[in-house]
Amino acid sequence: MSHPIDRRTFLRRAGTVAVGAAAVGVAAGAGVPAVLRRFDRPWDEAAFTPPGSPKVLVAPVASYDVDLESAVEEGLRGVGADVRGRSVLLKPNLVEFDRGSVINTDPRLVAAAVLAVRRLGASSVVVAEGPGHRRDTRYVVDASGLAEALEGVDAPFVDLNLAPVSRVPLRSRFTPLRELWLPTPVTDADVVISMPKMKTHHWAGATLSMKNCFGCIPGRVYGWPKNVLHWSGLQEAIVDIAGAVRPHLQIVDGIVGMQGNGPIDGTAVDAGVLVFGTDPVATDTTAAMLMGLDASGIWYLREAGRFLGQTDPERIRQVGEDPERLMTPFDVLPAFANLRIGSSGSSGDAETGLG
Amino acid sequence: MDTLFERAAEALDRARTGDGFGPMPGAEPEPESTALAALALDDGRARAWLADAQRDDGSFGVWAGPFDNDSPTALAALALATGPARERAIDHVLSNPARRVPADRITPHDPNLTGWGWADGTAGWVEPTARTLLALRLLRPNATAAIEECAGFLADRECVDGGWNYGNRIVYGLALPAFGQPTAVGLVGLHGMHVSGTDGDVVARGVDALRRLWRVEGGPLTLGTALAAFRLLDLPDAEGVVEHLQRSLDPVNTDVIALAWIALASGPNLSNLAVAT
Repeated sequence: MSHPIDRRTFLRRAGTVAVGAAAVGVAAGAGVPAVLRRFDRPWDEAAFTPPGSPKVLVAPVASYDVDLESAVEEGLRGVGADVRGRSVLLKPNLVEFDRGSVINTDPRLVAAAVLAVRRLGASSVVVAEGPGHRRDTRYVVDASGLAEALEGVDAPFVDLNLAPVSRVPLRSRFTPLRELWLPTPVTDADVVISMPKMKTHHWAGATLSMKNCFGCIPGRVYGWPKNVLHWSGLQEAIVDIAGAVRPHLQIVDGIVGMQGNGPIDGTAVDAGVLVFGTDPVATDTTAAMLMGLDASGIWYLREAGRFLGQTDPERIRQVGEDPERLMTPFDVLPAFANLRIGSSGSSGDAETGLG
Repeated sequence: MDTLFERAAEALDRARTGDGFGPMPGAEPEPESTALAALALDDGRARAWLADAQRDDGSFGVWAGPFDNDSPTALAALALATGPARERAIDHVLSNPARRVPADRITPHDPNLTGWGWADGTAGWVEPTARTLLALRLLRPNATAAIEECAGFLADRECVDGGWNYGNRIVYGLALPAFGQPTAVGLVGLHGMHVSGTDGDVVARGVDALRRLWRVEGGPLTLGTALAAFRLLDLPDAEGVVEHLQRSLDPVNTDVIALAWIALASGPNLSNLAVAT
């Protein structure tokens, strides 16, 4: 996995040639014209270092039956992840469970990540999630196969819907929320690794490592579904929550992804990739491109690129395989047809819904 | 061998923190878990904790930024002793329905039925609406408009194959499946009522759905709520759930909310939630 990226090709494919991300497209949700948003900086500048030049590593992985532990270890090493002596919290996506679907981060990958971060010297590893649609977390964890997988690697699971919580002031203000209740296993972990499934999202375009942070929000405070966040603006909430959780590392499960009516009712797509990174915005920008989506048209990524992480392909250092070679165009709902790379324009507008 | 109730009640009692109960054993007490435990154990100490936790507006809950999660209030009202505190809690529930959601083609629903939500100022959902329905039927039966609102909401949000998930029947033209736990809670709220939905008797269809779902899902919260529903409906399916729980219950590794539902559903105090019809 050492082919250098052809940056020109990446730029072209990402559909962002020479265009500042903040200046493009239509702002969703808040109803503030994009041109005005350019001058609005709803975050505490002291709390966020300007986006740098993060590494992202795309690895071709054809199935879940290969040596995933080594693949994860190599991927994390490749982006310079340092977990030595640190407590690690792995956050997969288990928003709900539907037998025969591919909603969830594959349990085999989660177990492999447990072993890999231990091999890299982590002092402790827990796996944690707060399912957003179901209160019976035990059912989701058992039925998805995660419980058995974690038993095999002797790793504990923490239900973030029930864990103790602490109040965390928000350092960005895209929503009217001024604070979040976050589970202490998340706030106390030295390293949070967001492990999303690579999926389309029927209200946000794509759900990746930033959106996966929704699962850190405790249902017993915010409800099932976490409707407070939807009423605060879904895409705005993605930015604020990711800015509060700030996952230190990302491992995107794109071995089998979900296309179409994601994140729950889409269909499986063999994308054959894992994406590793240290910057959730850069990781998600790259993952979106691998899905054949124009990241600059996804509102929450565009806004996050102003302060939380890097969206400029020129400044994302691709240290793995050439993303262009591994791109698998995902089907999208008609509302997001303009997100497809090569379409005439981008539209990150999220339609409203109940949640 | 101890009965299911004895096992669950003993584990629940051990899980308390001071007079109240948190969502996990030993955790800081919270209104929902304490209310359920008070109901399950008929526990005066838990009631006292609740009385102290009631807010000036009569509600119980947690502050969630600019939103206030007051959803435990209906359960707390059921758990409180008869008196002014209970009346203030019910008054709060009645005066704080969910936000009205305009009709939309993505998630079709009747915009005139708001139901009750998890947090003040947000949309209505199945579980908080079902809990409100139960509390009103038992404690404020003359609130007929609100009771009809709750029942109508549950009929409107019923899944195409019967039963309920969290509260979306159809999204983007796709019928969403029912889940065991919200189906059970919906039936707890509706037991003894006859409510017609799009496809027939909502309660009967919910029972059919729950019969399909509890064996497949089988988590402790699903089983505890399913047992409560079957017992309140006086259905023999309850025996199967009890047998399953006797085999599968791991009290040490079960959270307090699930334990409380199991103790409530398997014990003598469930009768306090039965609505005379």
